[in-house]
Amino acid sequence: MTKHEVSRESFSRRIWRKTWQGWGVKLGFAWIAVLIFAGVFAPFLANSMPLLMSKDGVISAPVLDYLTKEDVVVLVMFALLVILAGVSWSVGKRLLIFVVGALLATLLVNALLKPPSVVIYDQFRSTVYTEVDWRVMPPITYAPQDYLRDFGDTGLEAPLEASDRTHWMGTEENGADVLSRMIHASRIALSIGLIATGIALVIGVILGGLMGYFSGVVDMLGMRLVEIFESIPTLFLLLTFVAFFGRSLYMMMIIIGVTSWSGYARYIRAEFLKLRQQDYVQAAVAGGLPLSSILFRHMLPNGVAPLLVGVSFGVASAILAEATLSFLGLGLVDAPSWGQMLNQAVKSSMFNWWMAVFPGGAIFLTVFAYNLIGEAFRDAIDPKLSRNAGVNG
Amino acid sequence: MLTYLLRRVLLMIPTLLGITLVVFSVMVLSPGGISAQTLVEGSDMKPQEKQALMAYYNQRYGLDQPAPIQYLRWLNNVSPIGFTQDAEGDYNGFSFTKGMDLGMSFMYGRPVREILAERIPITLLLNAVTIPLIYLIAIIVGVKAAQDRGGRFDVFSNVSMLALWSVPTMLAGVLLLGFFASVQHFQWFPTAGISSRAAQDMPFLPHLLNGEFVPGFLLDRVWHLVLPVICLSYAGFAGLAKLTRTSVLENLHADYARTARAKGLAEPDVLWRHVFRNSLLPLITVSAGLLPSLLAGSLIVENIFSINGMGQLAVEAVKGRDRELVLSITWISGFLTLIGYLIADFCYTLADPRVSYD
Repeated sequence: MTKHEVSRESFSRRIWRKTWQGWGVKLGFAWIAVLIFAGVFAPFLANSMPLLMSKDGVISAPVLDYLTKEDVVVLVMFALLVILAGVSWSVGKRLLIFVVGALLATLLVNALLKPPSVVIYDQFRSTVYTEVDWRVMPPITYAPQDYLRDFGDTGLEAPLEASDRTHWMGTEENGADVLSRMIHASRIALSIGLIATGIALVIGVILGGLMGYFSGVVDMLGMRLVEIFESIPTLFLLLTFVAFFGRSLYMMMIIIGVTSWSGYARYIRAEFLKLRQQDYVQAAVAGGLPLSSILFRHMLPNGVAPLLVGVSFGVASAILAEATLSFLGLGLVDAPSWGQMLNQAVKSSMFNWWMAVFPGGAIFLTVFAYNLIGEAFRDAIDPKLSRNAGVNG
Repeated sequence: MLTYLLRRVLLMIPTLLGITLVVFSVMVLSPGGISAQTLVEGSDMKPQEKQALMAYYNQRYGLDQPAPIQYLRWLNNVSPIGFTQDAEGDYNGFSFTKGMDLGMSFMYGRPVREILAERIPITLLLNAVTIPLIYLIAIIVGVKAAQDRGGRFDVFSNVSMLALWSVPTMLAGVLLLGFFASVQHFQWFPTAGISSRAAQDMPFLPHLLNGEFVPGFLLDRVWHLVLPVICLSYAGFAGLAKLTRTSVLENLHADYARTARAKGLAEPDVLWRHVFRNSLLPLITVSAGLLPSLLAGSLIVENIFSINGMGQLAVEAVKGRDRELVLSITWISGFLTLIGYLIADFCYTLADPRVSYD
């Protein structure tokens, strides 16, 4: 007879341990870490201006003068995350402090920071910036919107084609460096994936929770709403929204979020339908707790783990949705985006392989990474399913 | 069963109304919205002509009226039963046989019905070729992987299917187009359309004409479809193959499969006659979601390969802010999606006699 062991391991820790076992999920997280690094430090990785330079004995950092409000907010948020990961407070407290900190940073930055509104990248190639004692340049010496107009014939150029400049991944149709644009685009891809999924999750959990808890008429009406949003092809609804409302990154996040909540709602509903007959829920109802407390403090934690699976697949599809929109020419106009770059691969009658392989590869790897993580979560959370899939046992 | 079907069909009506309502509100709420003013551009038009055109739009679509009334007007035009209008635009009676009027496309100046009749068959053809292909490959790969559980083929197919599933359709389309159709690399396949100009005059089947090979209409069409169909199908069969594998595995170790083996049944018989039949259920569930995802996929694929189907029409309509077209397309794709769900539920009862809807 085997000895019975009592596991003191918490549920979330066990899931995390099981998820972390496979090599695929490690690769997935590694790639996302690369993306986060690229997104947060984009201005220091790819920019036309020196990071640090010394001229006539005066040391200056031009890159700091040209940081946009967005750059600063992202940096502050990243710093907050790093600090909060180190302290041992409860998840809720850390989340609260992060949100408050991020909001505060946004307000402060908007009020205090006044970056130059027009950046003329050409001036960084003038003598003011080149004839110096010493200077430290970023690894990629082109800003994403540095269209190299001074080089005359600057169109699509294959990698390492120009002899006097180094473009590791070639240039796009306006002569901007592809690698630089890709680094800056990772911020858009990541933020759209996370924020859109966050919005979808909030809507889905609230609606699904109400549907599952009340059932009956509420459920009937809610399911019709779910069905409506499932029956309109999401991509088409997105197209309609974007075409009629104009293009803005924040608009796109909201739209992708608003159109993709039906899956989460369906899931939470099914879970809550099972849970609402449980004794502890009945006890909470009998105890006269407010509805929000019953739904979110007592029921939600018991149905939330499998949502992780949906979230990682959801992030993948949100990134894909943004890329598709940009690919179809309905994305952001000037901001760098992987989908928009991919669009240029076959735009002229020529096939520009570097415009397909690099940005397309980045989209693929990101989507693949999130899918790998989603699969790993699913296998960890649902042991029966994973046994059937032959993963363990 | 019949009552169930009837109830489902009746429940489709509010859902379809909801779909159009959502899309309609998006268009109305948008800055500028849809008014006769926005539709009549033409700076080269004389003021009187412009006025006349605006008056025409207002009279025909009620664009000068508040949004809810516009929506009701549109609904009345589209529904097969409703009020009839006389030449002045006044409502003069109620009819059960007035027929559906999808309206005129603002952008093309042609009836929406005519445009759709041209475009829908093309998209349906693409999808009709794709769906059987998806199932064929998914079943072959999935069953083989399940039999080989833990083996080399299993691991390889598992990873490669997840990878394939993650390849964005547009990347696959662009790469295929670039490498297999462009003049720079292998120029094996045509770059655009679903048939070449010359094929219009060719006989249907391939044949020899004076010792020279003529591909014929059929082969030409097949040739044009190869790349788009690959683009449309790979993600579908990748996802489905994983599902097939899981579901076959689950049943391979079930008690009844063991009993069948103990009875002395050959392994192929166990697999195909017993296990496979029972593994079908999840495949059917997914098929409901397959149709809408294919429609969304056509949007991208048709754009890349310049195929004049529904997908491209949808993009054009949305870009041109063509209200009548946008509404009709959403309406039809929503309808097709719901039909997909209905067929899936119906197939359920065929595959599993225990399932019945009452």
